[in-house]
Amino acid sequence: MDENVLQGIRVLDFTWLLAGPYATRILADFGAEVIKVQSRKTTTGTESNVTGYFNTWNRNKLSITIDMTHPESKELVLNLVKISDVVIENFTPRVMANWGLSYETLKETKPDIIMASISGMGQTGPWRDFAALGPTIQALSGITYLTSFNRGSPVGIGYSYADPVTGLFAALAILAALGYRTRTGRGQYIDMSEYEAMCSLLGPTILDYSVNYNLAVPRGNTSEYMPASPHGCYKCLGDDKWCVIAVFTEEEWHALCRTMGDPTWAKQEKFSSLLRRLEHQEELDEFLGQWTSNYTPEEVMDMLQEAGVVSGVVSNAVDLANDPQLKSRGFFIQLHHPVLGNTNSDGTPIRLSRTPARYRRPAPLLGQHNRYVYKDLLGLSEEQLRQYIEKGIIS
Amino acid sequence: MAPEGKDTALLAGLRVLDLADEKACFCSKLLADIGAEVIKVERPGGDAARWVGPFQNNTSHPEKSLSFWHNNTNKLGISLNLESKEGRRIFLSLARQADVVVETFPPEYLSNFKLNYEVLSRENPRLILASVTGFGQTGPYKEYKSSDIAASALGGQMYVCGAPGAPPLRPYGQHSYYIASLFAAVGILIALHERNLSDRGQHIDISLQEAVVATLEHVMVRYFFEKVVPRRQGNLHWTNSACISPCKDGYILITFNREWETLVDLLDTEGMAADLKEERWREEAYRRQHVGHIIGVLADWTNTHTTADLFELGQLLRFPWAPVCSVGEVFNSPQLRARSFFIPVDHPEISASFTYCGAPYKFSGSYRNKWRRAPLIGEHNAQVYYEELGLLPEELAKLSSENVI
Repeated sequence: MDENVLQGIRVLDFTWLLAGPYATRILADFGAEVIKVQSRKTTTGTESNVTGYFNTWNRNKLSITIDMTHPESKELVLNLVKISDVVIENFTPRVMANWGLSYETLKETKPDIIMASISGMGQTGPWRDFAALGPTIQALSGITYLTSFNRGSPVGIGYSYADPVTGLFAALAILAALGYRTRTGRGQYIDMSEYEAMCSLLGPTILDYSVNYNLAVPRGNTSEYMPASPHGCYKCLGDDKWCVIAVFTEEEWHALCRTMGDPTWAKQEKFSSLLRRLEHQEELDEFLGQWTSNYTPEEVMDMLQEAGVVSGVVSNAVDLANDPQLKSRGFFIQLHHPVLGNTNSDGTPIRLSRTPARYRRPAPLLGQHNRYVYKDLLGLSEEQLRQYIEKGIIS
Repeated sequence: MAPEGKDTALLAGLRVLDLADEKACFCSKLLADIGAEVIKVERPGGDAARWVGPFQNNTSHPEKSLSFWHNNTNKLGISLNLESKEGRRIFLSLARQADVVVETFPPEYLSNFKLNYEVLSRENPRLILASVTGFGQTGPYKEYKSSDIAASALGGQMYVCGAPGAPPLRPYGQHSYYIASLFAAVGILIALHERNLSDRGQHIDISLQEAVVATLEHVMVRYFFEKVVPRRQGNLHWTNSACISPCKDGYILITFNREWETLVDLLDTEGMAADLKEERWREEAYRRQHVGHIIGVLADWTNTHTTADLFELGQLLRFPWAPVCSVGEVFNSPQLRARSFFIPVDHPEISASFTYCGAPYKFSGSYRNKWRRAPLIGEHNAQVYYEELGLLPEELAKLSSENVI
């Protein structure tokens, strides 16, 4: 039991792209049997089983194929539902219902089933059918507007942040529902909105509006919730090399000054208190940037951390791959994939002392586990399997 | 059987002690919002997170921090000085009755007061301890100081946010704290599941840095599989097929890949397609290479419309377009309103009720009727110390005079 924490939990996984697969990857990393339901017709582009993108989010999972447009597929899926604990999907709201796979139907088949539906807007409301990708959600949530150096030009986040965030919330919801089922014997339906997931991460800012009518504006790299100065990103030695420095207390300010060799500019009255430094932020940043530009970001970080000041390297992908801290903790993992060869990906940040995540296998090839799932788990005979294949239901 | 009574809460019966500051008080909030009994254990005078803004009426005050309000809903609050001998003893008796402890101290801190995992688990072998720190419990940086901007930088977030040629940019808010809290909460539920089998707890080690790296979507994938080092490209999506475009009254996020031919026809009907009708633009690879020109033509077109018009039009065509919203627009969103995402939370001590963000999921089988505001400093001392631990009023008075409580 020590090896596979979630052993015995079977997840029928209809998800694609990122939010859903991110949730089921967490479950699979800790030993749940995640069966990815795929169709030869839709596994193109990034959903192709042999892309790096697919491989990264689908390790430790099994793959079966089924053509959901075939009229006999529904019954086959319902038989799989009977032997599953969780069904998860992230289509737009109509899709599962159109296949005859609404929660009501699943519940008739397996009363204690847990079904989780993830969608951009949630299963209800005037926008329920709206199309949404990560950046769509980020724009709607306020984070895109707020992430900028000035009001006139929204920048936002350089990746689909909303997807992993939603995947995390979904994993949490499913695990909570599993615990509830253990206690009460009851399953349930989870309606998860990606839009709401992103908004809930801006909770204090939204409260500031609802309580004080303050309309938050972009703040660049300044500290929006706690006064800090200096607090920002500074140019270092090298091409596109940067570090960050954050000073919250007078003690830290003096430590920073000492590390810089107590330059005369830092002794000026206008930098003598947090309040005054905040008033002269731009000038302070200029001075500080002149100092940091003499060093590599690693040098700045080491010097300042040694002195007890928060500082860090602005890491790019190469820096991350070689980061001494991540390396020492073995954060990136390697798995051998039959087509892609040795593949690297991020491990899980969830580190359990006694039952750590296990990286057992790379992402599956399309339909790789058809025989295991349909024959060994579901009990189809060789003949039945052959018929399903001939009809094009399993391909 | 209809769910009813206390049992309807998803995590009913789960007891969590929350020692976390602003780095992870969101973790036990996630658990409290779905029914766990969370006791926030603050140092006398209140946790440092009470000084994180913004503040009600824009005035710094430990009972008016809106960050604290948001991150501590549905928790009970007691005060306790862990660094005193008596405080430690009281904490251990609380820990004996708890399922989970969440903490954010520097790695050696709890050992110094003999409250580390080994000690706690000797008192209560079923206890799960979740530690959230800047860099984790091990490794060369474990003693380094962190904050959201450091985690954002060292986690690879900032390097890919911002405009080319401009400095890296930190996303607004304290995202490393929220993501790390989510990972910690998921880890806690996994450990609880495992405990059903083994009857033993364990120690969960969460690093803010790792939490950020784990949410970078394409960044490490492209590096590992294509040897590409993603860089900042402003509001142009990394696939070069979506961007933010100016409108008459704001900005709209538009996509222009799968949508291409419909989009060009649309522009053409308004006489604004410029040269985009030419054959070469039909090729996706060509478009990606000359995306600057496309953005220019699209901006000329979007500038003649309002964000609302383009949002409606785009969604009618099943394009994932959306306006770039301010917090006010989020607050008034018809979709969020229709789903009752925002919920009223009473603050009886000031005879007020405020609107909070709710949880992003709806469970058919269980629900929480009413949300309770964050605890005031030491608000539930009497309840916890008298009723739970059976202390006498004179004992409590003594502890209070010794600054233990």
